[in-house]
Amino acid sequence: MHEPEFNDLSDDSDYAASQQQGLGGSVFGGDPGMTSGFNEHEASEVVYSKDNVTIHPTQYGSERISGRLRLVKQGESVFMTWVPYKPYPDGPDHLGQSSNSGLSEKDRNLYTIAPVPLSEVCSIRRHTPTLSWPYMIVILSSGLAFPPLYFYSGGLREFLATLKQHVHVVRSADDANVFLVNNFQDPLQRSLSSLALPMALSVANGAPSENLSSSVPLFENSERLNGTKYYTSPNISEYSGRRKHKSHDPARDLSLQVLEKFSLVTKFARETTSHIFRENQGNSFDASEKKQQKQSPALTPTISKPSEEQSHSNDAVVEPDPLELDKSSLVWGKPRQPPMNFEEWAAFLDSEGRIMDSKILRKRIFYGGVEFSLRKEVWKFLLGYHTYESTDAEREYLASVKKSEYEIIKSQWQSISPAQAKRFTKFRERKGLIEKDVVRTDRSISYFDGDDNPNVALLHDILLTYSFYNFDLGYCQGMSDLLSPILFVMEDESEAFWCFVALMERLGPNFNRDQNGMHSQLFALSKLVELLDAPLHNYLKQADCLNYFFCFRWILIQFKREFEYERIMRLWEVLWTHYLSEHFHLYICVAILKKYRNKIMGEQMDFDTLLKFINELSGKIDLDRIIKDAEALCICAGEHGAACIPPGTPPSLPIESDSGLYSQPDDL
Amino acid sequence: MSYAYLFKYIIIGDTGVGKSCLLLQFTDKRFQPVHDLTIGVEFGARMITIDNKPIKLQIWDTAGQESFRSITRSYYRGAAGALLVYDITRRETFNHLASWLEDARQHANANMTIMLIGNKCDLAHRRAVSTEEGEQFAKEHGLIFMEASAKTAQNVEEAFISTAATIYKKIQDGVFDVSNESYGIKVGYGGIPGPSGGRDGSSSQAGGCCT
Repeated sequence: MHEPEFNDLSDDSDYAASQQQGLGGSVFGGDPGMTSGFNEHEASEVVYSKDNVTIHPTQYGSERISGRLRLVKQGESVFMTWVPYKPYPDGPDHLGQSSNSGLSEKDRNLYTIAPVPLSEVCSIRRHTPTLSWPYMIVILSSGLAFPPLYFYSGGLREFLATLKQHVHVVRSADDANVFLVNNFQDPLQRSLSSLALPMALSVANGAPSENLSSSVPLFENSERLNGTKYYTSPNISEYSGRRKHKSHDPARDLSLQVLEKFSLVTKFARETTSHIFRENQGNSFDASEKKQQKQSPALTPTISKPSEEQSHSNDAVVEPDPLELDKSSLVWGKPRQPPMNFEEWAAFLDSEGRIMDSKILRKRIFYGGVEFSLRKEVWKFLLGYHTYESTDAEREYLASVKKSEYEIIKSQWQSISPAQAKRFTKFRERKGLIEKDVVRTDRSISYFDGDDNPNVALLHDILLTYSFYNFDLGYCQGMSDLLSPILFVMEDESEAFWCFVALMERLGPNFNRDQNGMHSQLFALSKLVELLDAPLHNYLKQADCLNYFFCFRWILIQFKREFEYERIMRLWEVLWTHYLSEHFHLYICVAILKKYRNKIMGEQMDFDTLLKFINELSGKIDLDRIIKDAEALCICAGEHGAACIPPGTPPSLPIESDSGLYSQPDDL
Repeated sequence: MSYAYLFKYIIIGDTGVGKSCLLLQFTDKRFQPVHDLTIGVEFGARMITIDNKPIKLQIWDTAGQESFRSITRSYYRGAAGALLVYDITRRETFNHLASWLEDARQHANANMTIMLIGNKCDLAHRRAVSTEEGEQFAKEHGLIFMEASAKTAQNVEEAFISTAATIYKKIQDGVFDVSNESYGIKVGYGGIPGPSGGRDGSSSQAGGCCT
């Protein structure tokens, strides 16, 4: 995965959205309960202080917020805090509020970092771009990340050095710019086994030499051992002891509102989070598990695999979700945006109607969908019927060519006489099936309701024409569900047909007689769940549910039966962007399953019960929430997730072969 | 709601024979000609009384199209009863019965009670399969048989209940080990479970003990 060189906030509308929410107070300030044990009345010692450490909420220079970063020691604990400067009373902020900075003092205070104990810090990523200021991203063990802190006057190196004196810091084995704080497990264990350094061993034994930290310079250019280094604190046992005293976890106390706030952390920070989480993965995502291990002074190799015994030895206890960072949800999916409107859409087009940046367009649609009136136009691109490079004129021409092409294919079945049909069983059967099904498709939608509705007849004609266009695949139940919203949006027979054709290029294998397209997706889903929720996977395994047939309907017709009509159009356009993954629908599946994992496992659902339960979720799923969760899962899984999905798994375009895509014996 | 037993039923048969309509008529006592076609499986449930015992029927209504057979087969597991449905106005749905039966025999437990239903008997003027043919097929394969109409509700109640009565009798006769849920029977908490007229008369509560 490529690493963005700088922090791109220009298209991160989360910030804008957050500004409008108008939350009072700061993210961490205001509520004394959130200050994690820091007592401002108690004596404290400032061990590090740096001015001109700045946050860039937007790409506008005028909206940068400078402040002071400090490390404060109070008793045995060290806290990190960052406080923005007050705007100068006579400064530009004050004079030109409308023309200059759009940030009010309230907005500025939003980013205040109230004292957070270093014991809550999980990792720090350092960036030292050659042409810009160095900055760092601090990630808490709860998974929250602070916005990048830019060191305008230097001091990042000093910060890390000071940090090192107070907490246990290990440089990640995979990325020399990532410093794992309070991390005694995976990287160290890994290093132990692979390198068996005496130094590291002494750390592992909990008795590091006092001189050790000073004997290893924090930053040196000559990295050895694949860039792996250990930076150890001389007082691990002290740290552990201190950790024990803490009875409550401040990160868990953060309100959802605050968590939402933090989903405005930049995409970049999130990617860093997921990157680091991947590194730490080793089946030990779980924060609480991590903490238990931290508390163990012996630092024995306790990388616990979610064991199978555990999952069925105890009826009542459900193994925690390894990715659950907060009780209420996975929090790092971006807030959803309003659907793209006409002005935004028009801005993507050049003077001849070409889409100038399809990636950004797809990203925009991924995060908010499009307004209904635009669907007719936009879906044709998303589905691949139109290419992004085509001009208005080319598309207009294509439409007329395609219209006559459609008429030709349609005339093939229309010209079959009754006498011919009598001798053409396959045709009769297909036609009969389609006739039976179109009258059972979305008739509660006004577009298709009532007797002799012409739109129902259009569904019939398009499906029968498709079964001639793709005779090998023919017609299969579920296709009418996929066609219905397309026809509803296109309101044109030929255009709907060609959009449907484009969709079926990807989803056709769902309807193969041997169901191989479905099986490959269900298989990939099982692999993803294994990756992203091992306890749930183990549960489903022992409950003999690994065939994932309970997700069959979800995948076959892209959740069509799980959401109301307007919502399904929104979900589909999000899926069709293929923005984060071609297989985002599988992450949607995982997100839904994870949402109900505790219920599924807690109630010990068997196959029948689970199937019924999943079926009855129809109409009860919060779409925006699930898309956000799926986004977080997809980013978190990263390449490991992609590796779970075998090449050619629908909706990836199939690999063409001479024998035809859908050749199957004895199909209807 | 409490019940003495819960029976799992599965409704199978070609697409468009009226499986979902039979279910709806049985559970909701209404006929809804316009409904969405079944993808995968749908569920329905209703309480009935047999021998003064409350029995809950949990009914699985499956998709009929050939392509979905491999998925449908996984639903047979643990079904106590099956309604095998054809449409008396469409000959081919009758012709396919043998293959449905083969599936059922292969994937369901051997003691599953199968009821053959010739649906849409209100459309007698379009009949393509005679009652005698249905009877004959049922007799040959050891099935119970009825013609019914989901539209007029004729025999719908009877079809579901007589299937349940047959299953209930099998329990009485000791054919099933009711503590083994693979037979599609769960013993409930609310009624008086166990074989009242059976062997020793002592009823085992909640299926906790096997005989």
